[in-house]
Amino acid sequence: MRPLYLVLGSIFGFVLSRSGAADYNYIQSMFLFERFQLYGIIGTAVVLTAPGLWLIQRRGRTALGAPVQVELKPMTRGTIVGSVLFGIGWSIAGMCPGPILVNIGEGKIYALAALAGALTGAGLFGTLYTRLQGAFDLPLLEVGSTGK
Amino acid sequence: MNLILNDLRPIHWALAGAGIAATTLVLLFGANRRLGISTGLEDVCSLVLPGPYFQRGAIRSGREWRLPFLAGLVLGGFLSAILSGGWTPTWSLGMFDSVIGLGPVGKLVWMFVGGLLIGFGTRLANGCTSGHGIFGLANFELPSLVATLSFMAGGIVTTQLLYRVVFQ
Repeated sequence: MRPLYLVLGSIFGFVLSRSGAADYNYIQSMFLFERFQLYGIIGTAVVLTAPGLWLIQRRGRTALGAPVQVELKPMTRGTIVGSVLFGIGWSIAGMCPGPILVNIGEGKIYALAALAGALTGAGLFGTLYTRLQGAFDLPLLEVGSTGK
Repeated sequence: MNLILNDLRPIHWALAGAGIAATTLVLLFGANRRLGISTGLEDVCSLVLPGPYFQRGAIRSGREWRLPFLAGLVLGGFLSAILSGGWTPTWSLGMFDSVIGLGPVGKLVWMFVGGLLIGFGTRLANGCTSGHGIFGLANFELPSLVATLSFMAGGIVTTQLLYRVVFQ
């Protein structure tokens, strides 16, 4: 299956690269309400994904016949605080996580620093998890669980 | 407005949205995977950081798909450049250069700070534009609606402050 993920990632990355979703100017013009492009992309993606997800989950089986499993995300105090922090970072860097990698592929040198920062941030979060748990009402770690 | 990459004209937003939707649906229907990119940051961390948070089953077992998917994102950007006039390493950053105007070292620091907030924030919120904004919204999940409104608000306020107040 690994080649499939590589191919799907490449298609996803190519689309982000050519559409403006990985372009600093287009991200800023979205936040400045100067261009519709990014709102159009996200809106179309959601509108087209929704009926597909409904159909797949109603069928209940993947193409290969396995039961469809969609892990749901918990709502915690971290949902708002974390998302606001992420939004600030998205504005500063002009990239969200996928486009950081796309920009590296395109040859944007500074995107390497964004990736280093993102990995450091995720590393800090995981390392401090038990200390953040109480403050943000985060779920207990399922150590040794074999979920996906 | 053309892209920074090779001064290209961007593809139509509807076409891009359809491409993103198709990838998301193939991931679930073909491979039983919920689209999500920022969790992949933890997968990368788990290669080097010991701690229980990174070595739990949910992370270790996701690596087999997330790591090749992330590698695909880099490859997709590379192919996009190669197929449109060539791949050239660049520092160019569009309106940042004309308005904020930091040099290479300043840009690295700026981007590292942005990245820190992205990495920490998406993990605290359990997702980013893809897992919350695309998949979660399309699946009518309340936490994803809250997350999407919050990160859009964070981005809008920050960019408005940067480009309409601080560096005007």
